[in-house]
Amino acid sequence: MKKKIAIIFLLTIISLQIYNSFAVQRFPKPEFESGHTQPPTITPDPRSHALAVLDVFVLAAALTVVTWLVLKKRSRNGVFWMSVFAVLYFGFFREGCVCSVGSLQNVTLALFNPEYSIPITVTAFFVLPIVYTLFFGRTFCAGVCPLGTIQDIFALRPLPIKTWLEKVLGIIPFIYLGLAILYAATSTDFVICRYDPFIGFFRLDATFMMFAIGGIMLLIGVFIARPYCRFLCPYGALLNLVSRFSKKHLTITPTECIQCRLCENSCPFEAIDKPVLLKEKEERPIAVRRFLMYTIIIPVLILIGGFTGSQFHENLASANSKVRLANELINETNFGETEKEAFEITAFKASGQTKTELYTEAAKITKQFYYGGWMLGGFIGLVFGLTLVSLTIFRYKEDYTPNKGSCLSCARCVDYCPVLPENKIELNKSI
Amino acid sequence: MEKIRKLIIANVQLWKAISYVAAIFSFIICFLIIANYFQINRIDPVNTEIINNLVERLNQNPNDEALREEIREIDLLARKAYFTNQWQIRTGGYFLLIGVIIFVISIQLMNSAKKITPEVGDKDENNLFIQKTARKWVSIGGAGIVVLALLFAFLSHNKLEETFNQAIIAENSGNEELTTKVPAVEQETANPIVQEESEEVDNVQEAVEEPQTEEIETNVQEIKDIYPTAEMKANFPSFRGPGGNGIAYQKNIPESWDGPSGNNILWKASIPLQGYNSPVIWGNKVFLSGAIANKQEVYCYDANTGNLIWTAVADNIPGSPTTAPAVTGDTGHSAPTVTTDGKKVFAIYSTGDVIALDMNGKRVWAKNLGVPENHYGYSSSLYIYEDKLIIQYDHRSASKVMALSVNTGEAIWTTERNGKISWASPVLVQTNNGVEILLLTDPFLASYDAKTGKELWRIDCLFGEIGPSVAYADGIVFATNEYASLVAIKAGAQPEKLWEQYDYLSDVPSPVATDKYLFLATSYGVVVCHDAKTGELLWEQEFQEGFYSSPILVDNKIYLIDKKGVTHIFKPDKEYVSIGKASLGEGVVSTPGFADGRIYIRTDKNLYCIGK
Amino acid sequence: MAKKEKKKGLPASLPNRQGRKAGLNRRDFIDKGFRFSIAVGLIGIVGSLFKKSQAKEYVWQLDPSKCTHCGRCATSCVLTPSAVKCFHVYDMCGYCDLCGGYFRPSSKNLTTAAENQLCPTSAIERKFIEEPFFEYHIIEDLCIGCAKCVKGCGAFGNGSLQLQVNHRLCVNCNECAIARDCPADAYQRVSIDDPYLFAGFEQKKEG
Repeated sequence: MKKKIAIIFLLTIISLQIYNSFAVQRFPKPEFESGHTQPPTITPDPRSHALAVLDVFVLAAALTVVTWLVLKKRSRNGVFWMSVFAVLYFGFFREGCVCSVGSLQNVTLALFNPEYSIPITVTAFFVLPIVYTLFFGRTFCAGVCPLGTIQDIFALRPLPIKTWLEKVLGIIPFIYLGLAILYAATSTDFVICRYDPFIGFFRLDATFMMFAIGGIMLLIGVFIARPYCRFLCPYGALLNLVSRFSKKHLTITPTECIQCRLCENSCPFEAIDKPVLLKEKEERPIAVRRFLMYTIIIPVLILIGGFTGSQFHENLASANSKVRLANELINETNFGETEKEAFEITAFKASGQTKTELYTEAAKITKQFYYGGWMLGGFIGLVFGLTLVSLTIFRYKEDYTPNKGSCLSCARCVDYCPVLPENKIELNKSI
Repeated sequence: MEKIRKLIIANVQLWKAISYVAAIFSFIICFLIIANYFQINRIDPVNTEIINNLVERLNQNPNDEALREEIREIDLLARKAYFTNQWQIRTGGYFLLIGVIIFVISIQLMNSAKKITPEVGDKDENNLFIQKTARKWVSIGGAGIVVLALLFAFLSHNKLEETFNQAIIAENSGNEELTTKVPAVEQETANPIVQEESEEVDNVQEAVEEPQTEEIETNVQEIKDIYPTAEMKANFPSFRGPGGNGIAYQKNIPESWDGPSGNNILWKASIPLQGYNSPVIWGNKVFLSGAIANKQEVYCYDANTGNLIWTAVADNIPGSPTTAPAVTGDTGHSAPTVTTDGKKVFAIYSTGDVIALDMNGKRVWAKNLGVPENHYGYSSSLYIYEDKLIIQYDHRSASKVMALSVNTGEAIWTTERNGKISWASPVLVQTNNGVEILLLTDPFLASYDAKTGKELWRIDCLFGEIGPSVAYADGIVFATNEYASLVAIKAGAQPEKLWEQYDYLSDVPSPVATDKYLFLATSYGVVVCHDAKTGELLWEQEFQEGFYSSPILVDNKIYLIDKKGVTHIFKPDKEYVSIGKASLGEGVVSTPGFADGRIYIRTDKNLYCIGK
Repeated sequence: MAKKEKKKGLPASLPNRQGRKAGLNRRDFIDKGFRFSIAVGLIGIVGSLFKKSQAKEYVWQLDPSKCTHCGRCATSCVLTPSAVKCFHVYDMCGYCDLCGGYFRPSSKNLTTAAENQLCPTSAIERKFIEEPFFEYHIIEDLCIGCAKCVKGCGAFGNGSLQLQVNHRLCVNCNECAIARDCPADAYQRVSIDDPYLFAGFEQKKEG
């Protein structure tokens, strides 16, 4: 025994000197005289590819059914049950990943990172909802997206919020979208996934923080319907843009609006555009001048945004692990650890990478963030500019119509409309 | 339907009651779970300091049985608490889920029982007012973001990029200073008188310098002791393996496969441009190059899937000729094999263009070495020693060997050779003198110090147009050329010919040697084995097809592929013992690359990965 | 109220009917143009992704040769306990009596007593085979992926105990939370056909 310990001791000393000593056969595998057979190393298989393909088909089928329910059947009940199905299948059964919202980042990563090639199923998850939205409006949000539908089910006591506030907060998703793309393009992080509030519920397991964020979001969602979809979701921002030009879209009334105003407060998402009558029209010169002024300042806003973004790029870049590591090494801050060397620094030393290489890489990433900061800032400036311009436009309309951008096609308003397809009016309507 | 509706409406009070109960229940469970969560964090079993401390104490007095018992009890308790806690949280989670579901259902039922009472808003919201307020707040919000972002940016402004670049410069100059200091210190010890004279001044300097130089020296020592390095051995970084000596260090290499039926062929990928070079493997990536007269490319394939990860084009290189030099069809524009150190990939072409790419295919540097005057085409492969890219550049008007910095492409050393054109590749081996570069040309074999480029020794031995590279084992270098001889040379400051043979000679494949035997394949299909020490012909074996691909010793087997793509696997032994034979169904002239359990073979158009 | 407005609204709009129609047509045209360009953009993105596509999904796996045994696999995973477990690569195991992965470094008695065990959850089972060989099994339900045994085996033994993501448990997050926290960058996306990255030996599939 002593001899053995001595050998092990010796080997330890030797092993400390050899770089990367892991997994070296120091002791030969024995040959058993007793006829003992060695058990196999167990390697459980991951979820099969066929199931991932099935997911894509279920996605396409669910989109088709919801679209049919919204546009043809005009059934809020149907949409609700599809929501339940989506929560059960894409949520609790599928346990989240990959979802269309997150796939946005995979697509970005594939476009910018030469080492990453994207699985076709993920591309399908990204593209299918956009295609459906392009033709039929945001039916994906209505009853397929598990993040949206779980909030929809929890929208129990929606309270109205001010229309102007809705418009102001509606800018946040675009900022989030820009950030998510910047971080995915620089291979830094998938922020959307990192701060996904509901995934923990679907898995019935998550870190405390994730549960806390999700719980708060759902609680808010009881009173302010679908807060994540309206004021955060970056994929929603994308669909919002696409939906504005959709070929078909949910209509409140099956035929012609009779101006009964019954649907006026029916939308929990403030997505019904009310009539804008000529009496509200301002004097033409003032309106035109204002419109021109806001249009002209768009480039200025882009520049201001870009400049701000470029100045802010270091703060953005410090989320990148390589930049962070380089920074900690240079400043010798050791990731705030005082007692022992930070794991990151130990690992860096073990990796065999030289400091020069790390710094070069970090400098390169910082540079990317510099340009990225310009683009992100410019993009945000553009969004602000366009929002402002859209807030100066007077467009005469006399009917109640869903706002094609922000309407989530949930079909709640449909139940409020007394007009029947045959142009009759139902007087005492209840569900 | 109607019945259910009525039932729902009739029981609104019930739903209300249920929803209240469910809400309170969920709330309590939620509270308990949160409390439990904080508890679980306190009793994290991985960091049980108490137990560790107790064990420490036990080690000091190993006979304290009471302490022993105590540890066992605490350990059991801690583990029990941990798993019970997890069970509690999980069960609590299910309860909470059920509570919330019941709550939501009852509220939904309540809602659905309510008649829709559409509200007609009584106060008019003026569109102008909405727009105005929204504009105001959008502007305020935007301005707020800008101000906050700028404020943050200026508060934490640390010029990251500049800092990094300065750090790089500091790091590099630090290294250079150190390397130049090494000889300086040596000089000091060599001239003790000078040292004494300026002792006072030097003392201060020395105090600063000494620890650093020591560090460098130990580093050098370490690297000196292992070439090829463990990292190189774990991969297949260059033509004929690490150092180019025809030996690979991988295990579990397949012994049977079949190209046409796809048996044991993991994948097959097409290669866009032609080239008679070989695949090199690093980690999960396979690299090779290809070129035609006006297009030069490097390819990176996924070693597991065969996906072409990236293609890098070597164009727009300053000094590159507008028209590529004439080459023969059996050499091509891309005969040299690429090499990699796991951080960068390097390729060279018939035009004399050298390109360095990072592992993502991004160009790091590229330069032209001057068009080589070579009537078949340049064909010597690249190797890396430490931070140096070793290039044999023997052509008609110049004959030299050089080392370029892998990071910048600057020449670190260049040594003139005054030989004739050579098509052989360098072989880098570890000897007692450090790492030597063995180079064969007409009419001599020479060795160079890889660190400095200094010629260590040379011996006249062969003549003709030399194609095969040398093999090295146990201090003996084996060199051969068609129409000349096969010669074994004892390496060292006084090189000497040990033996010479004339029967079977090679004009393309390079030999491979073990400590005991030398194996040589010929382009007309004969494989022979000589005793390494005496030169005695131990066996000869004739095959139907000739060989262009070089034999590789791996996993204690020799793999040799003939021109028709049939791989012959035999033992490196004093008798010919065939282990296996496998056909790819496609002609092969390139030397294979190896990874654990895998072989990568390049054919004219395709790259095959063989493995289970 | 509604009626009043209607009255006010309608006559004002009447003269504009024609103009409105033209306006609508123009809007339709613009919409169509935008729709078309979005479709083209989408096809463009899909097209440029075409070359960078692959048929099958990825799963996350860690490369044991890069692992520094920091213990974050146990704590950073979105699952509790972590989906990362210790795997025993029996092919590499030396069946040592004094197992660096099983015993605390200072253990003097080679018994299974709690004070000797390195594993904080007692997830390694030690079984006598024949003199002087012992076999070690990982009890998966107890293993929390803390890497203590992996570190011990790598430092003193063959390195046959290795951390790997157990794909039966892993929910395969789009971005692995451990990958984000791993100081050694040891996590990577690997093909679902080849989902394990054992170091130092060729894996054998479960029969």
